[in-house]
Amino acid sequence: MRLASGVVWADRIGMAALAIVTGFSILLLVAPSLIVLAVSIEPRGYISFPPSGFSLRWYEAVFANRQLTDSVLVSLRVAFSVMLVCLALGVPAAFASVRGAFAGKGALNAFLLSPQMMPGMVIGIASLFFGAYFAFRASDAMLILSLSVFCLPFVIRIAMARLAGLDPRLDEASANLGAGKLETFARVTVPQLAPALLAAGAFTFIEAFDNVTVALFTSDVRARPLPVELYYLVQFDSSPVIAAISSLEIGLSFLAMLLIARTVGLDRLGR
Amino acid sequence: MSHLVIDNVSKSFGELPVLRGCSLSVEKGSVLTLLGPSGCGKTTLLRTIAGFITPDAGRIVVQGNDISDMPPNRREVGYVFQNYALFPHLTIAANVAYGLKVRRTSRAEVARRVEDALRLVDLSTFADRYPAQLSGGQQQRVAIARSLVLEPSVLLLDEPFNALDARLRLTMQIELRKLIQRVGITSIFVTHDQMEAMTLSDTVAVMHKGVVEQFGSPLDIYDRPRTAYVANFIGRANVIPGEVANGHFDDPARIATQAPAGPAVLVVRPENVTVEPATAGDAAPGWPGTVTFTTALGPTVEYEIDCGWPEPLRAIAPRSPGRPQAGPGDRVVARIADPAAAVVLRRQDGAHVH
Repeated sequence: MRLASGVVWADRIGMAALAIVTGFSILLLVAPSLIVLAVSIEPRGYISFPPSGFSLRWYEAVFANRQLTDSVLVSLRVAFSVMLVCLALGVPAAFASVRGAFAGKGALNAFLLSPQMMPGMVIGIASLFFGAYFAFRASDAMLILSLSVFCLPFVIRIAMARLAGLDPRLDEASANLGAGKLETFARVTVPQLAPALLAAGAFTFIEAFDNVTVALFTSDVRARPLPVELYYLVQFDSSPVIAAISSLEIGLSFLAMLLIARTVGLDRLGR
Repeated sequence: MSHLVIDNVSKSFGELPVLRGCSLSVEKGSVLTLLGPSGCGKTTLLRTIAGFITPDAGRIVVQGNDISDMPPNRREVGYVFQNYALFPHLTIAANVAYGLKVRRTSRAEVARRVEDALRLVDLSTFADRYPAQLSGGQQQRVAIARSLVLEPSVLLLDEPFNALDARLRLTMQIELRKLIQRVGITSIFVTHDQMEAMTLSDTVAVMHKGVVEQFGSPLDIYDRPRTAYVANFIGRANVIPGEVANGHFDDPARIATQAPAGPAVLVVRPENVTVEPATAGDAAPGWPGTVTFTTALGPTVEYEIDCGWPEPLRAIAPRSPGRPQAGPGDRVVARIADPAAAVVLRRQDGAHVH
């Protein structure tokens, strides 16, 4: 039975290797967040790990800093606006791409999805030059516009994937039962699209909330969004206040995920 | 006057003609089946009646009103889809209530009519379930209830039994026929299954390449097929080529016919062919041949007889124990039992001839 025991050993080594790789991957994914959390409770005025004690002073510092709290408000406002713009433009565009039959559909589709191939920085600089040409100042509006261009392909892609999976006969069934086009859209299409809309909305919100590459070029100097504010902050300040903000952001994301998991289920986001 | 009239309807998809001048009529409360192979245009015709397809030419008239230009949501025509197309995000009760809610029916009336409709299809206990939790047969009944609750003037059903397994299919066919009789609704089925057409319908329209080849009662079509194609599609038939001269077809016996002189085919059902052992001195006209294959099916026996034609002649004879029957290799003579039941048709170019 030497062969059999050899096979068993090979199996065990394989399983052990898999466990090590899996464990290491999880560690890589989670450890940075844990370190950030640990650093944020450091009582002393500089970043060190492990923390020398427990203190919430850096959290207090975050809320005491008007510049930081203002930038959070800017980011929330911008992220929400980008989400609305992207859903309002992306869902009809996805409809046209999936259900429509018109000349130049392929070209339009490629055009709408093209920002995805471009680095955010390029979109940021292009928006800046575009704005300068028409004498638009870098502002909230510019930031919302440029981030919308950046995020639109994600919304279109998610909505298209879901729409392609919908049975067009459901629309015919609805018409046959007496519903007009708008009523069919509201009663049949939207409810089935809801998980995709939620996913696309959440994704766009998060992307717009913590984007730096585009925002660096198009945000208002006097009302910087949080990621840009942090970017400037780390250049001059190395106190654990950065870790405290990051920890708050981690907590917020975690809450959002929990909320989605409880309401629609995370597995439905992908579909 | 007919309840529903399809008047000379034509439709092309691009260059491809799918319907070529189809005309039909259905009496109130009767069941019509559109029968034909896939690609014959039967589903296109059904979708045209529902308004999902706009015909290039022709009219569709329901109770004297031309509905050809009406959008699908204004036509009082129920449609049961092949895959049932139930709304997956709504419960069974909400699916059935859909059309009533769209019509802004009062809440109390919706509840009452949904309950009645679900009771009609025997699904009252399933009201709060979702379509995915139901079997195929149950889903079909929901789809029918969803249409019937609106009391449409016509019910259209696109291959309603296709998605069901063979045993359930037979039960549902009978159940559906009873339901339609009870409700008394004018119905049009689409099917490619001739047995289903015979079971369900008062009238059958046999379709072939976008044309209605024959339109009549199932037995009328079976007994008097107008083309060789119809003869072969409804039941089985021997189609024997020959000639018509002086008002009769001469093979093997003289059969009088209205068909014009020239190339013709004789259509004989297998049960109209008798098989007797060949005996010396038998002068009665018949087709001599050799039995090549027999299938005994209890009450009947089927013969395949080689008469020197490309296709064997088929005959079905009653079987009883103790009576001798011919076996493979036996020389026999086949004859037409009732010449009046044989049909002589003019031979058309490209016609389906065995």
